[in-house]
Amino acid sequence: MAVSIAKQGYNLGHGEHGDHEHELVIYQETRDMRLLGFVLFLGSDVVLFSAFIFAYIYLRTTVSPTWPPILDGHQLPRLDTAFAAVNSVVLFGSGVTMHYALENWKHGNRPRYNLFMLLTILLGAGFLGGQAYEYAHAQIGGWSGSIFGASFFTLTGMHGFHVFVGVVYLIVLWLQTQRNVYDQERYFGLTAGTLYWHFVDVIWVALFFLFYLW
Amino acid sequence: MATLAPGVKTGSYHAVLDHIHPEPTSFIRKYIFSIDHKVIGIQYMITGGLFFLIAGLLAEIIRVQLLSPQNTFVTAATYNQVYSMHGSAMVWMVIIPLVTGAFGNFVMPLQIGARDVAFPWLNLAAFWMFPVAGVILFSSFLIGAPDAGWTEYPPISLQGPPGTTMWCIAIFLIGISSTLTGINFIVTIVKMRAPGMTFTRMPLFVWAQLATAGLSFIATTALAGALLALFLERTFGVPFYDPKHGGSPLLWQHMFWFYSHPAVYIMILPAFGIVSEVLPTFSRKPIFGYKMIAFSSVAIALLGFSVWAHHMFTSGMVPWLQLPFMILTMVIAVPTGIKIFSWMATLWGGSIRWTTPMLFATGFLITFTCGGLTGFFLAAVPADYHEHGTYFVVAHFHYVLYGGSVMGLFAGIYYWWPKMTGRMYDERLGQIHFWITFLAFNGTFMPMHWLGLMGMPRRVPYYDPAYQFWNQFASVSSFVLAASMLLFLYNLFTSFRSGKIAGPNPWGARTLEWMIASPPPYYNYKKIPAVLATPYDFGNPLPYIGLDAAPGATEATPTMSSHPVPAY
Ligand code: HEM
Ligand SMILES: [Cu+2]
Repeated sequence: MAVSIAKQGYNLGHGEHGDHEHELVIYQETRDMRLLGFVLFLGSDVVLFSAFIFAYIYLRTTVSPTWPPILDGHQLPRLDTAFAAVNSVVLFGSGVTMHYALENWKHGNRPRYNLFMLLTILLGAGFLGGQAYEYAHAQIGGWSGSIFGASFFTLTGMHGFHVFVGVVYLIVLWLQTQRNVYDQERYFGLTAGTLYWHFVDVIWVALFFLFYLW
Repeated sequence: MATLAPGVKTGSYHAVLDHIHPEPTSFIRKYIFSIDHKVIGIQYMITGGLFFLIAGLLAEIIRVQLLSPQNTFVTAATYNQVYSMHGSAMVWMVIIPLVTGAFGNFVMPLQIGARDVAFPWLNLAAFWMFPVAGVILFSSFLIGAPDAGWTEYPPISLQGPPGTTMWCIAIFLIGISSTLTGINFIVTIVKMRAPGMTFTRMPLFVWAQLATAGLSFIATTALAGALLALFLERTFGVPFYDPKHGGSPLLWQHMFWFYSHPAVYIMILPAFGIVSEVLPTFSRKPIFGYKMIAFSSVAIALLGFSVWAHHMFTSGMVPWLQLPFMILTMVIAVPTGIKIFSWMATLWGGSIRWTTPMLFATGFLITFTCGGLTGFFLAAVPADYHEHGTYFVVAHFHYVLYGGSVMGLFAGIYYWWPKMTGRMYDERLGQIHFWITFLAFNGTFMPMHWLGLMGMPRRVPYYDPAYQFWNQFASVSSFVLAASMLLFLYNLFTSFRSGKIAGPNPWGARTLEWMIASPPPYYNYKKIPAVLATPYDFGNPLPYIGLDAAPGATEATPTMSSHPVPAY
């Protein structure tokens, strides 16, 4: 018995499937691996944000007697919550359109995919514009004035950088789909892009709460 | 499709496992920018080895300076730079890349029956960040190296020489490298195990790498955050850490140790894994408590995140936090103790062969246990108030890092050397190397316990003459320790040139990597084998089927299992 098993060995059904089917199996397996890798990558990015969020909470609760802190004898004003709320709606809206972009791709509806993808890109860029406006008008003493500015500009700046990278990423994805890099069975890039975009949204939920509502 | 014996779970990733790329032919693609995990592992080994020599040289500068109480060998300013760079380099450019990058890359995919890691190109990129980071780190000497210790506590590091900024960049880069490697390893181990290799059939070294990868992909990013903030503060004056501008130096300590305590497990867990391979092989006995050893690695990794503040007992943290951190620290001793007892039970009644790897693994057991015990003293808050910042700490962490990680590395190098090169080393020279290392190591670091308890502070270039004798004793021992490296290198060099041909399995070991030719062919396995049991059941037939031996390894078929162990 043992001998016969050893002789048989273990081999995969090369040639038992058609070429296309075999290719598809390889695709699915590599996709699963890449998906796990990408999720882990996003997980480590979450840790990076968490480190700065921890720093913000720590500084605010243990170092600063008042919040917003006092700079040169003046209590700094709070941030403009209403403006940020509008801007957040823009970002979350882009999460919704991204979702529909992917869904329409899966169902083979190219025109609607195009529409939602371009909307996502526009909304993402709009959020960045809003953030730039906010940076120009925030009266909290600049980046190096106080720990308020330090944590606010570093954290939202890091987030904004992620959004920027995301917008570029989505543009590349959109161009790729125009050049038919993906098909209806194989579209890992789009899945990863959607994941990344939702990740950026989720981080923003935490930042919005910490900086504008707390 | 072939049928497997009952009990073999087939993984679902056969197609990927079966996918073979053609072997590169140009020298550059084959040896420089290789995507073969074995070549990358060896690249890590050579680069890390070079950095080890540099960092070791820096250690010897420290020891020369401490030969007499008021020595003028180097200035105080240089001395600060030297010990800071020694510590930084040893931790980030030597131990971590060697235990994960070198051994993880070379051994782990072989042991799980994979043809490569999950993302070979990512592996290539992660490797090349390492020499670049090393060059950046060491060239900081040109503009004034960091001088606030390897921990670079602000506000001192905020005022440090310009090289401190390069330090930030270098450590950030090596951090990205090890995060990517961690992710790569996790995906590889989770998705690419050979059919039938369930989690409870994985070699213990693979378990250790899995736990380590989990640690490094989480913890390292936290360090990246701390470094980024330090970089921003030094370059743009963004006030995170400077109390004068509303920041907090303690914030750095929290973030730094949230990484750096787990980092000590990044440095030691793979060594645990190596020892868990070496001990059963040379005792010819199934390892005792396989599952306990495997799960305790994971337990250590998880607990490792909860103890960082034991480095801050004397930093002015809130006192009521001290007790929980002290208790948590001591709780980590439990899974570690489980491992140590399992290893001793493995040795118990085995037919032991005292080869060089076995000697180093046993030396590891002894010295690491000593280091663990002194760790207990440091974890006790009242004792730590006395010992903190003294040579007692230096003694403790060298027992763990040198006596643990480096001894484990030596055990691993000797153990897998025949697999890597296809040649045997000189056993007699290896044993001499072990004895010199073991004795000189204790001679160097044992006296530091006394010095610390007598009150000698660490990081000082001058000291009270009362400490002179033991300092000289330690220095002279350290010169012997350094000299033993020459013997080691000579041994490896001659073995590489003209050592005896090793054959596939010179030790009669049972893990998968020994079933194929030495050195293993490109893409490792011609046909992916299936696994039927754990690899430590000495005396039973080999737990693999379908091993269509790769070229040159025809004798390494399952029928070899009952053969007696060849003489080495
Ligand atoms: C030849 C072997 C070695 C010798 C003689 C040696 C010697 C020393 C000495 C005397 C110090 C204390 C500096 C001071 O606090 O004044 C030191 C610090 C240190 N060593 Fe080693 N060492 C050796 C190997 C290693 C190894 C293998 C590691 C592994 C990671 C290591 C890691 C460190 C670290 C992290 C520090 C702390 C540096 C700091 O305080 O910033 N050393 N070493
Ligand atoms: Cu610790």
